[in-house]
Amino acid sequence: MFSRKFDKGVKTGGAILSAVAAVLFLVGYFGFRNSFADVGYRPEQPVPFSHKLHAGELKIHCQYCHAGVEKSAHSPVPTTQTCMNCHTVIKAESPKLQLVRDSYESGKPIEWIRIHKVPDYVHFNHSRHIRAQIDCKSCHGPIEEMGVVSQFKPLSMGWCLDCHRAPEKNIVGARPISGVFTNAMHKIEDLKKGAYLFTPIPAQVGTSTPITNPQFGGYHSEVPAVKVAGIPHPKKAGIGPENCSACHY
Amino acid sequence: MKLRFSHILLLGLGLGLAVLLVMLFTGQKTWFSTNTPIEIQPNLDLQFKAIPQSPNTFFADGKSLREPVEGSLARGTTTYPLGPGDIDAAETANVEPSDLPKNSEFVLARGQNRFNTFCSPCHYFDGVSENSAISKKGWAGIPNLTRSETAALSNARIFHIISAGQNLMPSYADKIDPIDRWAIIRYLRTLQKVEGVASNPIAAAAAKN
Repeated sequence: MFSRKFDKGVKTGGAILSAVAAVLFLVGYFGFRNSFADVGYRPEQPVPFSHKLHAGELKIHCQYCHAGVEKSAHSPVPTTQTCMNCHTVIKAESPKLQLVRDSYESGKPIEWIRIHKVPDYVHFNHSRHIRAQIDCKSCHGPIEEMGVVSQFKPLSMGWCLDCHRAPEKNIVGARPISGVFTNAMHKIEDLKKGAYLFTPIPAQVGTSTPITNPQFGGYHSEVPAVKVAGIPHPKKAGIGPENCSACHY
Repeated sequence: MKLRFSHILLLGLGLGLAVLLVMLFTGQKTWFSTNTPIEIQPNLDLQFKAIPQSPNTFFADGKSLREPVEGSLARGTTTYPLGPGDIDAAETANVEPSDLPKNSEFVLARGQNRFNTFCSPCHYFDGVSENSAISKKGWAGIPNLTRSETAALSNARIFHIISAGQNLMPSYADKIDPIDRWAIIRYLRTLQKVEGVASNPIAAAAAKN
């Protein structure tokens, strides 16, 4: 009915069109997933701050600068005052720190660029996770090895749920370097050995056992023996909640 | 066979697909970019609302976090009223809360945790200050906290130093809660091996390490 040429044209055109559609689908489906598009995001910060130097080599605990993370929903980016606790004397003339000194004098905050971000319709509470003795590394990766911080985990909903369902497979237990309170005394000799600071405390990674109603999740209630008002009590990590309103507004 | 345009197109698409597959499987390691992630569909990911520490065009100073009104405090926070020089006033003003349990490993562990976090950058894990990060970087003369002079200071005075600062040491009142400062003092006393602590078996064990 149709000419041979037309028939061939239809076939070739169809093949090309489906190839284009397949590539577009693959790019759209995989290429813009968080695990692909967001992981590795490492913006250039206004001040070339190195976590590798401060946390990795100098072994300053995460919470020295990100203080308050165990009590508030967000993990605070340190104030300029925090930088100047040391940098009034150390490298006081360094041109790399000019912006910090300017900010300290003017009171205008340094405009750090945010890397880790969940969508605005999600509420993530740092304090709840820190108090379950989950180390920063679980979600932020080995920050102490990063000269320039890049996003290490996808921070997607599926990734959150993977961990809420099987925490013992995904959580990095609290490490001394992060400053997460675990209700455990450390030997000073161990702390002096730098390597110990980066080793998770195995006993703190609880196995997940379903609680009475897994839908609502929660902590194990076995840990706090003593209660002192104002001290955030560490608890063992249990299965996380899976109901929508646990994370979504 | 004669090379046709469609062949080149298919070859290009195939190559593109191969590159994409390589990127997919190695993506976590190689896909480093300084550009903000692309949002094909915004999905209300970015909403106009005040998020802590983010810029905000609604307020004149551009900050989402508001400064407290003058003379007011944020709920649950305290302020330390004394300056670094008010040593005499500090002796009477700072009283250890009675609900902080004695001989408690929990309190000591908390003290150690906070000490390691906030004090160790300068005073090191043992309080001797010699091998601390800041000493290694050339800040000389960080006081040794285990000296007998420091051990002789009252708890109230040490609370005062943590809260108000002393000499080049800044105030840590905004970083360490009062209850944690008392826990730090408890722990510091074990480092100093102050008399009376050694009779407490938990503290003695901590001091020995």
